[in-house]
Amino acid sequence: MESAVPGTAPADIPVAVPLGEVFAIANEFERTGRVEEAARLVRHAMESAPDQPDVLHLAGILAFRRKQPQEALALMERALVLAPDAALYLRNICELYRTMGRLDDALAAGQRALALAPRDPMALHNLAILHYERLEPAEALACADRALAIEPDLPGAHFERAEVLLLQGAMAEGWEEYEWRYRIAGAPQLMPPTDKPHWDGASLKGATLLLIADQGFGDVIQFARYIPWVLERAPNIAIAGSVEVAPLLRQIAPGVQIFQNWAECPPYAAFCPLSGLPRLHGTRVETIPAPVPYLRAEPARVERWRARLDQLAPPGVRRIAITWAGRPTHNNDRNRSAALADFMPLAALPNTALVSLQKGDAAAQAGAFFGRAPLLNLGAEITDFADTMAILDCVDLLVSVDTSVVHLAGAMGRPAWVLLPRAPDWRWLLDRTDTPWYPSLRLFRQDTSRRYRPLIAQAAAEARAWFAKYHCEP
Amino acid sequence: MSTATATLCECGSGLRAARCCALDPASVPPAESTRHLVPLVERAIQAHRSGDTAAAERLCLDVLELAPDRPGALTVLYEIRKAAGNFRAAEALVRRIVRFDPNNFWATNELTLLLLGKGDLAEGEIHARNAVRIAPENPQAHNLMGMIMTEAQRPAVGEYHYRRVLVLAGNRDPILLANLAWCLKTQGRMEESRALYQESVAAAPEIRQTLLGWARMEEADRKFDAAMEVLARLEQVAPEDPNIALTRAIVLGRMGRYDEAVALLDGLAARFEGGRLGPNEMLEKGRLLDRMGRHDEAFAAFLDGKAMARELSGNVYLDAQASQMVARLRGFFTAERLRILPRATPRRDVPQPVFILGFPRSGTTLVEQTLTAHPRVAAGDELPLIHDITGIMPRMLASPMAYPEALAELWMGDRRDGLDDLRDYYLQKVRQMGVLQEGADFFTDKMPLNETHLGLIAMLFPEAPLIHVIRHPLDIMVSAISNHFTHGMYCATALETAATHYVRVMDLVSHYRSQMALRYLPIRYEDMVADQEGSVRAMLDFVGLDFDPRCLSFHENTRYARTASYAQVTERLYDRSMFRHRHYLRHLEPVIPILRPLIERLGYSVDPD
Repeated sequence: MESAVPGTAPADIPVAVPLGEVFAIANEFERTGRVEEAARLVRHAMESAPDQPDVLHLAGILAFRRKQPQEALALMERALVLAPDAALYLRNICELYRTMGRLDDALAAGQRALALAPRDPMALHNLAILHYERLEPAEALACADRALAIEPDLPGAHFERAEVLLLQGAMAEGWEEYEWRYRIAGAPQLMPPTDKPHWDGASLKGATLLLIADQGFGDVIQFARYIPWVLERAPNIAIAGSVEVAPLLRQIAPGVQIFQNWAECPPYAAFCPLSGLPRLHGTRVETIPAPVPYLRAEPARVERWRARLDQLAPPGVRRIAITWAGRPTHNNDRNRSAALADFMPLAALPNTALVSLQKGDAAAQAGAFFGRAPLLNLGAEITDFADTMAILDCVDLLVSVDTSVVHLAGAMGRPAWVLLPRAPDWRWLLDRTDTPWYPSLRLFRQDTSRRYRPLIAQAAAEARAWFAKYHCEP
Repeated sequence: MSTATATLCECGSGLRAARCCALDPASVPPAESTRHLVPLVERAIQAHRSGDTAAAERLCLDVLELAPDRPGALTVLYEIRKAAGNFRAAEALVRRIVRFDPNNFWATNELTLLLLGKGDLAEGEIHARNAVRIAPENPQAHNLMGMIMTEAQRPAVGEYHYRRVLVLAGNRDPILLANLAWCLKTQGRMEESRALYQESVAAAPEIRQTLLGWARMEEADRKFDAAMEVLARLEQVAPEDPNIALTRAIVLGRMGRYDEAVALLDGLAARFEGGRLGPNEMLEKGRLLDRMGRHDEAFAAFLDGKAMARELSGNVYLDAQASQMVARLRGFFTAERLRILPRATPRRDVPQPVFILGFPRSGTTLVEQTLTAHPRVAAGDELPLIHDITGIMPRMLASPMAYPEALAELWMGDRRDGLDDLRDYYLQKVRQMGVLQEGADFFTDKMPLNETHLGLIAMLFPEAPLIHVIRHPLDIMVSAISNHFTHGMYCATALETAATHYVRVMDLVSHYRSQMALRYLPIRYEDMVADQEGSVRAMLDFVGLDFDPRCLSFHENTRYARTASYAQVTERLYDRSMFRHRHYLRHLEPVIPILRPLIERLGYSVDPD
């Protein structure tokens, strides 16, 4: 979301400091992330000019940045009443409506913004994101293409194209566009500045290749499958990876140096993030390598967790592991995370215990779940991925939203049913109920209601049949 | 108000506070220096014996002002206050005698009886045990233990002591036989109980308590005609005894003759001071009116009964204590700490506990009756042991801190098995209490509000099934206001405090469940009614038991449940108690704001139909 374009500041009004000046400073503060100071100035400006639309609009942006969407909406809607044809306001309120899940309002605002400013690449960019979320990939692609026709180096539009293309399975072009991900404003830096080249996939014998376990835990687990392919071309590798994923990477690349501090980084000839490997590998939908299982639970841990589970649910009770929320900082968390209460239909299965693997703040919901099946909150006792893997070995099925636990189950070849939002992450492709990335996974996709409860009801009904077919009936 | 009056002790002893409840033991002069007061004490005793209470009182107050530990003066003043019905002062005085002279059997006996009378069984037990320590061959010491243990729901221990009395006294005292009969009744041994009542009444036909106990026993055994016959005998002995009408009303109520029952109680009211019934009678009347659909009158009776009970007992919700306890438990039981605290090792050589948790009146008795209809499950009833363990833990773990902080000792090399000791304490007591039975691999513990200690229970018994009975909070409130119970720090003495305590405990349960993996199953009372078999199967699966159809006809379970629900659980499962609050929505308005978030969290609603 962007604030006012230069030159659109309101006319000066005689106050102690001219309003235009206050507004300009507030705008600058907002641009440079000094949100609280900007908000203070805007409050001051609003006292002098309560009906100045630019001020109201900026106040709306600041409220949005301060995670007060309702207040942001009220301010922006007021600005739009005063200035109904302000394309900038419409472009921004489009994004605000989208984040609030009001997708039709977002579309109407976005389309009006575009009609008023047909050559605004950001309006097109916002619309591309919106169409993706509405699961309208063709429209999303068209908007991204139009934005790039106006501004060819707009990183966000390239990345949006990548997401749509990959979602559609057009991987050749998709992976190329995916490389724009580090150039998006505000994207985290992959590594400290370096003069070494990005690896091109060619043989690199005798020198060290640095791999970076980038992005979320799920991405690391998904793309770690390429490490053996890398080792065939570059036998000497070192990996920059967080303490959480290091034990997983060690399973795939035993004996390889894995470090957490850049100070420990050995000399290297080239680098590559794990998420860049599919492009170098030339992966297409039909050539996705899926050498499962490529992660395995430690036998001693499995024994320990099996004993713990036997304490909590008598043998013979079917165990379904669940997770209902991902990392709250994920930019699509609002859509991909469910509430534990949505899992009520699974709790209605007879002779079943739900095993929660949920970590983080969302785990507190376990305290307020009153389904008919017992909920075993193992999340409170899990310390690392090795625990999670061991538990996955002890349960009959995992039913989960799109989190790293799903990737773990997939990499282990354990049965898991993945609950996907209406517009899923690109890696789950379109329409299909399976995934070439992980043969043991089955995908459940939200319908247009965008709700998890009916999806989980469907999963529960199928679980009943699935257990009857593959396991003994309780 | 004079200065002297202003400093008088609040207990009503007539002494200054500094010489009574606020006494600093260091300020008590040595006995030798107050020897000159002995003649005054003797004069007080003399005056009291000769009926000159005013003189005796004045002498005692004078002596105790100078020597507040003089046992003779304390004793006489105690007798005077007790005779005047000032139990608060009497208790303070006799407590002081016991404090200064711990081996005084007479005072220990008096204090224990006082505590028994006001329902403070926990402290009563301490003094009853002291009585046995002081005089191990005194029949009355064992009688005290028999009474306390029977009331504290450890009737098997009570029975042991009553039988010791029989041996030590060398005779079959009719009152003792009646006490033992009551003890056997609470164990559901009705035939033995009846035989003892018959023997007791044959020897002493005119003892009111005996006849009343017998009538109650017959009522509990559903022998309503027999109960009425015994009451008729009692009426000949003591026509004015208000318990006759109350017990008759209860029996009539169980027979469905509500009009007659209410008429009886109304007739009784005329005989009470001010034309008002006592607290028990008032609640019984409310329950009868509720059955008759006269809800406004019923609720008014409930509120009246509660107000009167507060007035008479002085018991009110221990708000600050409850709030502090909950805060300490929340603070201690966190995932980080629980990850590094040990757990007791499960014992495989003994039957396993099944904990039935829930607020009083939420349906725990129903669940216990259902489970214990299974041949592999013995009934433990309300076992006070988890509470006991929280008390003895500091000693058992040699901790300078109280529970729960005392659990930090488990990190010490020489205390890491401490939980095994506490677990064994529990199991040993269970055995002593006669809970275990042949062929049963499980036994139940349905002490209400044990969920307050969910964390501790799961540490002591990591494999034990925890069945939490959930019910519409407003229905629980209706039950709480229409019955007397002391659980939950006297929260049920008023509607608002019952709601407050319920929310506190449920929030605490949420906390435990979010911080640790528990073998926990919520069972809805409403599901037990609407889908009995489904709920029973879910519970049996959860415990690890095969389905047994006898669990569906739990009302045929011959076991007698001693709690207030006993009359209900001997009936078939009925839906009369489901959503009963809808008749009382207007009356429950004060607690709806307190309960609403919880009502929604539990998946219920506040809705008139």
